[in-house]
Amino acid sequence: MDLHNNETAEAGQKARIPKSETSGLSVQETGFWAKVWDWPTRLFHWLLAGSVMVGWYLGEYRSFTTIDYHFYLGYFTAGLLVFRLIWGFFGPPPVRFRNFIPTGSALLAYTRRVFTRTPSLVAGHNPLGGLSVVAILVALAFQVITGFYAEDDALFASGPLMETVSSRAVLMANNLHHNGARVILILFGIHIAAILFYALWKRENLVLPMITGRKKIRTKQ
Amino acid sequence: MKKSFIIATTAFAIVASSVATPVFADATENAIKARQSYYTLVGFNFGQLVAMAKGEAPYDAEAAKKAATNLQSLSTLDLLPLFPAGSDNVAQKGKTRATPKIWEDFAGVGKIVGDWQGAVSTLVSVAGDGQAALAPAVGAVGKQCGTCHETYRAKDF
Repeated sequence: MDLHNNETAEAGQKARIPKSETSGLSVQETGFWAKVWDWPTRLFHWLLAGSVMVGWYLGEYRSFTTIDYHFYLGYFTAGLLVFRLIWGFFGPPPVRFRNFIPTGSALLAYTRRVFTRTPSLVAGHNPLGGLSVVAILVALAFQVITGFYAEDDALFASGPLMETVSSRAVLMANNLHHNGARVILILFGIHIAAILFYALWKRENLVLPMITGRKKIRTKQ
Repeated sequence: MKKSFIIATTAFAIVASSVATPVFADATENAIKARQSYYTLVGFNFGQLVAMAKGEAPYDAEAAKKAATNLQSLSTLDLLPLFPAGSDNVAQKGKTRATPKIWEDFAGVGKIVGDWQGAVSTLVSVAGDGQAALAPAVGAVGKQCGTCHETYRAKDF
């Protein structure tokens, strides 16, 4: 009971730290606030979240009058993914692929301690988070590509490249695009569940750093 | 003379029977082909209206009325003979996308067909009234197409 109160007080204290930019030292971990997420990455993240959610809705509940907007959001998402691909090579260190695509051993080591009730305090993506970024980006790229070749013959709407492939391939694209939407929905659910898990169980706010760019990271790695 | 006559007759019979064979082709396959052709006709007529509704083709009152009237004629056909038992995508794998659910839920299919016929009637009545009147009526017809496809048609062969 006493422990719980301490943690609540600590959480309240943490929320004020980014403003004062002083070091926020927790009971269990020593860390300091540092700029981790650059503004283009943060903007990318929220634009992607918005376009995928609205795009998913417009695809799932598509109609004659709204299907065009599903297409526009698909093109917009494609643009965002191209940006992220470039940023993964030329962006700041925390968002570079080589720095966050996890090795098997790192994944295993992190998974072993993920349920400990302490913040991860990683200066970027932790190994599981890195894996989820890869999964989300690959799933969305796959979805954009299958969408280019898909067709809805009830709405007489088709992706821009539909006519370049056989009718058999179009049916395949339809099927993959349809199932891809379910995979994305599952990944979205995992993403939200992980954020809640970190907030409630590990006492680590992952949302605020994606807004302010500042994240508390471990002093000694 | 007699012998050559028998040979000639036999040869004719063989040739004739082989030519005539397609007439006795599988009735189920014929029904599948017929219904796919039926939906091609539906799509041909409806597609013209969709193009006008979306502004991809210039609105033409006469052409719109003609396509809508053709669509209505098609919508009043009795489709039951096109859906014989055993012509689903489980029994006829690779030939059709019609799922067995159609035969399990004929009432459900009938409901959508009924709604579709109603939407087509409305479409006929407004087809000549300009693009703005046409568009929502086309949307209402397309909605029924989509509902049936989502529920009773497999995504792939």
